[in-house]
Amino acid sequence: MIAYAPYLILLLPLFSAVGIRLFLHPFPKVAVTSSVLACFLSFVGSLLLLGAGTPSGGMAAPMVPWIEFAGLKANFGLVADPLARMMAALVTGVAFLVHLYSIGYLAKDPSRSRFFGELSLFVFSMLGIVFADNLVTMFIFWELVGLSSYLLIGFWFARPAAGAAANKAFLVNRIGDFGFILGILGTWSLFGTIGFADLPSRATAGAAGWAVTAVGLGLFCGCLGKSAQFPLHVWLPDSMEGPTPVSSLLHAATMVVAGVYMLIRVLPVLELSQITMTTIAWVGGIMTLLPALIACQQNDIKRILAYSTLSEIAYMVMAVGLGVTGPAMYHLMTHAFFKCLLFLASGSVIHGCHEEQDIWKMGGLNKRMPFTYLVTWIGTIALCGIPPVSGFWSKDEIFAATASHPGLAVVSMLAGFFTSFFMLRMILVAFGGNPRGEGAKHAHEGPPVMVVPMLILAVLSIFSGLFPVQAFLGGGHEGHHDSWTLWVSLIVALAGFVPAYQIYAGVNQDPLSIPWLRGKFYIDEFYQRVLVAGQDGLARLADAFEGWVVRGFIVRGSGVMARAAGQGLRLVQCGQVQIYAAVFIVGAILLVGWLLRNGAWK
Amino acid sequence: MEQIFFWSLAVGLLTAASAVIVLRNPVSSAVCLVVGLVFQAALFVTLEANFLAAVQVIVYAGAVMVLFLFVIMLLDVKEEARRPMVWSKVLGVILGVAVAVLGVPRLVASFPASQKTLVWGESKTSGAAQDLGTLLFTSYAPLFLVTGVLLLVATIGVVVLCRRDPAP
Amino acid sequence: MSTMSGAITLGHYLALSGFLFIIGLAGVLLRRSLLIVMMSLELLLNAANLALVAVGRFQGLPDTQVAVFFVITVAAAEVALGLAILVAIFRIKKTTAIDSMANLRF
Repeated sequence: MIAYAPYLILLLPLFSAVGIRLFLHPFPKVAVTSSVLACFLSFVGSLLLLGAGTPSGGMAAPMVPWIEFAGLKANFGLVADPLARMMAALVTGVAFLVHLYSIGYLAKDPSRSRFFGELSLFVFSMLGIVFADNLVTMFIFWELVGLSSYLLIGFWFARPAAGAAANKAFLVNRIGDFGFILGILGTWSLFGTIGFADLPSRATAGAAGWAVTAVGLGLFCGCLGKSAQFPLHVWLPDSMEGPTPVSSLLHAATMVVAGVYMLIRVLPVLELSQITMTTIAWVGGIMTLLPALIACQQNDIKRILAYSTLSEIAYMVMAVGLGVTGPAMYHLMTHAFFKCLLFLASGSVIHGCHEEQDIWKMGGLNKRMPFTYLVTWIGTIALCGIPPVSGFWSKDEIFAATASHPGLAVVSMLAGFFTSFFMLRMILVAFGGNPRGEGAKHAHEGPPVMVVPMLILAVLSIFSGLFPVQAFLGGGHEGHHDSWTLWVSLIVALAGFVPAYQIYAGVNQDPLSIPWLRGKFYIDEFYQRVLVAGQDGLARLADAFEGWVVRGFIVRGSGVMARAAGQGLRLVQCGQVQIYAAVFIVGAILLVGWLLRNGAWK
Repeated sequence: MEQIFFWSLAVGLLTAASAVIVLRNPVSSAVCLVVGLVFQAALFVTLEANFLAAVQVIVYAGAVMVLFLFVIMLLDVKEEARRPMVWSKVLGVILGVAVAVLGVPRLVASFPASQKTLVWGESKTSGAAQDLGTLLFTSYAPLFLVTGVLLLVATIGVVVLCRRDPAP
Repeated sequence: MSTMSGAITLGHYLALSGFLFIIGLAGVLLRRSLLIVMMSLELLLNAANLALVAVGRFQGLPDTQVAVFFVITVAAAEVALGLAILVAIFRIKKTTAIDSMANLRF
């Protein structure tokens, strides 16, 4: 019975999603209830699974045969090894809290049945990624998660910005998935298998160096798309067009970390090439700093948090690139809690200020929404890595890993500095001072169904540092705490608060103006000008070719030529018998003459 | 003797043929054609094909040309209008005649068999009706019958073609 | 080419046939009146008959005379039908000029 548990956990949200889609759209209360119930049951199941299996042993659920021919076995199978169990508990737990929050957040939205159906679909897809036992199954759910993200970002599809953001997310993800597919195919062709259980034994250094590097980079491309790392990071800030629960669940806690999860699963392949590992580490490293700088000049509260998410995921990616998956998973877990908390808090603020998202139109919320103010502070402290809160421990383990790579250490610590800077900026401007807008004057806390999840997450943010993550990673790749990185990172993080306080305490408009940062380093514009325009140019070229060569020359041309030949040949039909007779005679003479020449009648 | 007859008959035939294509009045052309056919029949006689000469006169000159004249009279065809004599036409005619006169004898002489001489009485074939008839009815009997059918078809065709449409 | 006092050969008859053929050809291609064209056709046929009989006489082939027989017969049938058609056309066009009968064109 317990062997079928993964299937049950996986499929309950699917039933909810299908049921809502088919039957329950007109009954929002039933839809909401069924979705929340499915998520809760999945969560309970994951907890049971967490406790049931031995911490180090795996547990494979029976598999459904799908593709099986000589050379490739890609069956639909689920595995519940310790890593999967931990991740499943995390995903379902955070999802359940977000479900509860959404009940309050979307209480007045007429399409909330659709929302909860799509949420259930997302939980199903994400659990599929978590439980998958081979790359092909994981890829199927990868795409499903992309679909759920598209649906949820574009939930308010009547708004053009939402539709455009959903498209952007899906398309940019697709680009990453292309590399991912190539990586999967490369894995299969080089190592003969795509199952995660086989990879450690089969991934030997027998293949050519460049091939292994290429495969590793291909797999990393999938991570670039899904986890929004450079250069495919452009979709995440735009995805904030979706409702705040979506931003907190998908684009902070669970979906975007699927890339990191996947990298950990295929680590045996990645480790074969030092180039791949170095690339991953440096992409992660640069990506910690870049969004942190951009966030210093953003004015939309959700955008600020989105860039902070980009930066934190980069920490995890960097950790994987340095070979230490323990700290990566640790930070993944703690980040899920405090980032989700921060987003829910921002949602509470937006909801309380009647859909206002610009921090310069808020202000004075510390007195009007004290609970939200408190949990935001808790989340910020966790994010910036201040002890004794959980975020400090997980971030510090990653800093420890960079100790042997001074470049990465400098970059990531700088990122920590700026993270503190912009988070304090956000708090001071949004919550401090006096109300600057109409909505802010009448702000109020949300209903209990929104407050309670935030409370739980706050508690988890503080105490999740004590969770024995190492026990669930099956040995190896563990992190530890070096003493010098501990102190240096702490000092740098605290130092970030100082200039923020000096510049932003009690001001009513932004004294700093750095166009490059506000414009997100103009990467989006670059893509638009160069890539999109280039694609447009190619399309125009193809259209011209099609118009001139295919439609004009070949299709109409053949018609024209047939007509011209016809016109030419027509002239033979003059209608005058004597001309026909003359031609006939000439032909006959020529024929007879030729025959005579060749001795027909000698 | 052979030469006298041949040359005189040849000249006559060519003259009559030229007259056919040159004269403007169709009746004149038809009469000249009759004359030419008779000359041709005489040439057949010089070639010792007597029966054929008779057939030529009876059928060709006697029936076919008479039919022609009937139709000309029926339709009351007028004389053809004079057409201007352009220098290009004259040049063409002269050129054509020159080519013919120079080319045909050379072409004919290229065959070795054309050296055989004509001597009356030495013919290996007989032109008598009996021999020709034997051939017709034995070796070429099927063709003979088919030709009969052909004539029948021609008759029916002529009758059909010459019907006037019934009055509305 | 032999002189007037030389013997008559097969070549003479063939040359005569050739000239006759060319005259007939000229008539078919150059005259405007359909009647004259048909008479020129007869000239062509006669040229062929002459050649046939001559060759048969000199080479000892009686079969050529049979061929001539058939040619004459078919020529008669052809003339009959041709004239019937001519009459039918004349009733409509009121002329025998070939130029007015060029309807079967593009």
